[in-house]
Amino acid sequence: MKSAIIVLKEQIEHFYLIRRLSVYELISKNKNNYLGVAWEIINPLIQILIYWFVFGSIRQRANVEVAPGVDAPFITWMLGGFILWTFFYQATTQGSKSIYTRLRMLSRMNFPMSVIPSFVIFSQFYVHLFMLGVTILIFQLSGFYVSIYYVQLLYFLFATFALIFALALITSTLSTIIRDLHMLLNATLRMVLYLSPVLWQMTILAEPLPTILKLNPLYYLIEGYRASLFGTGWYFAEHWLYSLYFWAVVIVLLLFGAKLHTKFRRHLIDYL
Amino acid sequence: MDKAIEVKHVTKKYKLYNDQKERLLDLLLPKNYGEDFYALADVSFEAERGDVVGFVGINGSGKSTLSNIIAGIVPETTGEVKLNGQASLIAVASGLKGELSGRDNIELKMLMLGFRKEEIKRREPEIIEFAELEKFIDQPVKSYSSGMKSRLGFAISVNIDPDILIIDEALSVGDKTFAEKSLDKMREFKTQGKTMIFVSHSLGQMKQFCEKILWLEFGMVKEYGPVDEVLPKYEAFVNSFKKMTKAEKEAYKEEALEKQAQKLSAKRRTLRRKL
Repeated sequence: MKSAIIVLKEQIEHFYLIRRLSVYELISKNKNNYLGVAWEIINPLIQILIYWFVFGSIRQRANVEVAPGVDAPFITWMLGGFILWTFFYQATTQGSKSIYTRLRMLSRMNFPMSVIPSFVIFSQFYVHLFMLGVTILIFQLSGFYVSIYYVQLLYFLFATFALIFALALITSTLSTIIRDLHMLLNATLRMVLYLSPVLWQMTILAEPLPTILKLNPLYYLIEGYRASLFGTGWYFAEHWLYSLYFWAVVIVLLLFGAKLHTKFRRHLIDYL
Repeated sequence: MDKAIEVKHVTKKYKLYNDQKERLLDLLLPKNYGEDFYALADVSFEAERGDVVGFVGINGSGKSTLSNIIAGIVPETTGEVKLNGQASLIAVASGLKGELSGRDNIELKMLMLGFRKEEIKRREPEIIEFAELEKFIDQPVKSYSSGMKSRLGFAISVNIDPDILIIDEALSVGDKTFAEKSLDKMREFKTQGKTMIFVSHSLGQMKQFCEKILWLEFGMVKEYGPVDEVLPKYEAFVNSFKKMTKAEKEAYKEEALEKQAQKLSAKRRTLRRKL
């Protein structure tokens, strides 16, 4: 508990630093490309276009029922979940290697190490905000207009951030000690994509499978995103028990991650 | 006078593993795998405010390890380091980002050192001027020569105004004029009463600059005292050590490691008695 408070306090105290460092992170990563930071956007856009082509043209998928009586084309349905998935995937993999790739340079500086994963996540957050903007635009064009339910996007953004940060505290510490864990995480995440309701609907399965798959906290976030974008309801309130479960998972992960991080952070440099 | 640096019984242990398997077993099992290597064994010394201390010793004597521990980069295994003020380490590879321009690197590094936006804006011109990079300041750092890189690193570290300055072989790069300019800057610090630690193989610079010398040998303090007392002894030792044959050197090392082991076990005993 104590270490979680320490870590959270460090985030608040160094918030300006996190924002500046995340901008430099994006710039320095793309400095060699002529199109620069634009690649951060172009990449996921190309990926969406591929899915569009495959699922929208070649293998025409049936419309998805997002709420009783409301049908949405498959591609819009997918998009609502896919942007969240890209954010989660990019931020988690980069967060995991954030400490050991930067420690040699950053150990000389007098700011707490818990800032490192969070500025890496933050730099992905900017990309996500842009992608969200593009998605909202596409939704307007396909006839799903802005509604009051968009307000809960703020809540789900915060929830996603909390989950990614808690995970990154754990993975960044562990993969500095045992580098193989980063590889394992990569492989696991690829599987998690198919265990989350991004590319296919879980409700086509027979019970109890959908309920079991709901243990995955990403399920909550993705469905929440869709509920906001399609304007089908106040997801976090209608599924309040599920909300409680999600935050319990995040808090347990955060407590464990903060404990692990504060215990090892002084010694991580010895593992390089 | 108040103490600026207090190093008490600092020991640094590294583990040497023969392969990845040993490393993994050591991490997972309580049993000890791999070989212990002591980079520092029970090192203690104190420096007062305004002291300029030189670290000398042959390669592998633990000079860099000790300066890294004082700078807070590497944690000590046992013992304690107390600093009175903010320490800043200047090393040749001083953590610059190759893709960013010199100007961006200045802002980035100062941000990470905890400076506010206005403070950075105020100090930036001074740093650029000191580094003598001129039009290269807006080019990416990876296109710099090694001399330019170390000049930039040195300029940033010096201009952030630390209380304790640790200089690890930083002056051996760059040309004569820059070295002279850096030495001038350090003389200025000296008159301001800043504490400095100087790690170098150049005995000439040491003689010119330091007041005290800490002579390290195989991770132990061999001698600590004023320059004119310790440095001649060290010089004599280096000359005789150079003349030794390979076998004699090995024997000398064996003897020193024997002494190290004795010292460590003696310390362990006193610790146990205290308990």
